[in-house]
Amino acid sequence: MLLRTEHLSKHYGRSSALDDLNLTVERGEVFGLLGPNGSGKTTALRLLLGFLRPSSGGAWIEGHDCWRDSVAVRRRVAYLPGELRLYESMTGRQLIYFLGRLREAIVEVDLDRLARRFDIDLDRPLAQLSSGMKRKVALLQVLVPHTPLVIMDEPTNALDPTMRDELLLQVREARKRGQTVLFSSHILSEVEEVCDRVAILRRGRLVHLQKVSELREGRLIHARFDGEAGELPELNGLRLRERRDGWLTLEYTGPLPTLLAWLAVQPLTELRMEPLGLKAVYHRYHGDNAEA
Amino acid sequence: MIVLVRKLLRDIWLALTIVCVLLAAFQCLWFKVTQRICGELVPLITGLSRRGGVDSSMVQNVLFGGPGKILRTLMGGERIELDNAMDMLSIGFVHPLVQTILCVWAIGRAAGAVAGELDRGTLELLMAQPLPRYRFVLAHLCVDAVAIPLLCFSLWGGAALGSVLMGPIEVRDLPEPARKPAYLLEWGALKVRLENPGLPAPSPANDTSGRLAVRPLAFGRALFVVGGLLFALSGATIALSAAGRFRWRVLGVAVLVALVQFLINVIGQMWDALECLRPLTIFYYYQPQQVILGSNWTVGLGEWNGGQPLSRLPMLAVLYGVGALGYGIALWIFCRRDLPSPL
Repeated sequence: MLLRTEHLSKHYGRSSALDDLNLTVERGEVFGLLGPNGSGKTTALRLLLGFLRPSSGGAWIEGHDCWRDSVAVRRRVAYLPGELRLYESMTGRQLIYFLGRLREAIVEVDLDRLARRFDIDLDRPLAQLSSGMKRKVALLQVLVPHTPLVIMDEPTNALDPTMRDELLLQVREARKRGQTVLFSSHILSEVEEVCDRVAILRRGRLVHLQKVSELREGRLIHARFDGEAGELPELNGLRLRERRDGWLTLEYTGPLPTLLAWLAVQPLTELRMEPLGLKAVYHRYHGDNAEA
Repeated sequence: MIVLVRKLLRDIWLALTIVCVLLAAFQCLWFKVTQRICGELVPLITGLSRRGGVDSSMVQNVLFGGPGKILRTLMGGERIELDNAMDMLSIGFVHPLVQTILCVWAIGRAAGAVAGELDRGTLELLMAQPLPRYRFVLAHLCVDAVAIPLLCFSLWGGAALGSVLMGPIEVRDLPEPARKPAYLLEWGALKVRLENPGLPAPSPANDTSGRLAVRPLAFGRALFVVGGLLFALSGATIALSAAGRFRWRVLGVAVLVALVQFLINVIGQMWDALECLRPLTIFYYYQPQQVILGSNWTVGLGEWNGGQPLSRLPMLAVLYGVGALGYGIALWIFCRRDLPSPL
């Protein structure tokens, strides 16, 4: 296990930015943190980096306490901030070298190779670059050191679709190298595309933790009945999402034949099926019909 | 940490160069002002007052009486004599413009040290690297250790350059008064002819007492006091910066605190009610003139004892102590505080 949090909480007076987060992330895993603004994603990441002192609980990376031993933690972590501000007087190369020297590590071959892939001119002053180009430079400084853990806070902000794909490719390559990637995002499709597991936060609390592969196996089933359908069967992985105007919407992650067998004896008039997907799970907590 | 120190020095080199040039230029100019006052104006006043049969000290009393007292206070007090070159040159170290430049530098740089990085949002990029927090504060201490001596030497260099460029200070003799014709007063039929009363001939005011000699090495000692003031202001401001989040807010508070202290120190010299507050200000311990003119490194705290020295307090210990305390507080705060997200 690379990362562990136990009852990790951060309170500001009466308000709670993060409450009782219990989480483990394995080596070589790509882990997605999901949630709307104010759900506690960034607070969680900042606690891991030792920027914030936990109000209670703790977090450990490779056994090092994220607050008390934060230098050892940061030696093992590369971080891409969500709100990106760079030293504008430097060029991209100067910035990456400067941060690399602070880290006492730089891989020059990787730098030039990645710069070509991201189509960046590293010798232009950062002040002259667009926000998207600056983000690419910041991404390079995260990807170059090959740390055990890469933390990215909304990394695809301001990236064009091509560069977004390139980033996701880099995340996959990092996983191949055995690096762990922890990233937060609002964009469900990219999380679903690249992550092995996702955690959904709501108002500072972890409300859902799931393997993405399970989501791919799950289905969203819309069934229309002529009249009232009978009681839902007791099946593992079956969940009623909505019942409206003769339509029944179900989420189901179990074997399909058992559910179809039940549907076959109902007054079914119409049936539609689609992959469950992350969106369905996410909206369980953050949509109009979110659970209380 | 050297990497960070080099980066911080690279960030400030332009501003530092400008401030050094300003300080040196002012000292150079001040040498010219001293040359004019000691070599021309004072001998002229002295000569004129002798011709008029007036004691020259009376002229100075009139000049520095009433509102002129403020001028004398700003110049360094009653012990400063206008006809003494070293006295006049020492004013260059306590001149309000010089103090303002020193304050602007020390406060402006230190205010941005932590709060500025937080405000700009660059601190989290920096602190995401395996850099202990205490090293970040120590890096700023190293920057002070480089910048403060440079500023001090630019003051000294300016004065030395002035003495080379302007040459020695010499008295220019008063020109011979023009022989005026006798006056003829008419009062009706009465006519009175007043002959030229024959003013005493001007005596050449030669520098026989060595009052115009310039000893540049004596200024070297004062640089420790100048450095002390810069360090004290920088340390106090960096403590505020370590606790703050917005550079301009920290800057505002630090400037306000420094300004209040400066005013208390100046007004306290003229207004007895405020006199007892002077030892509580940093500027009270900034007395480079004492060091230049009398090698006196202590202050007496007489303000708390009816004018009699209460205790001899080394001014360097106070100034560097305040700076060190400020850095200590900054370390304590910065190593424990939360680093909020940039807004």
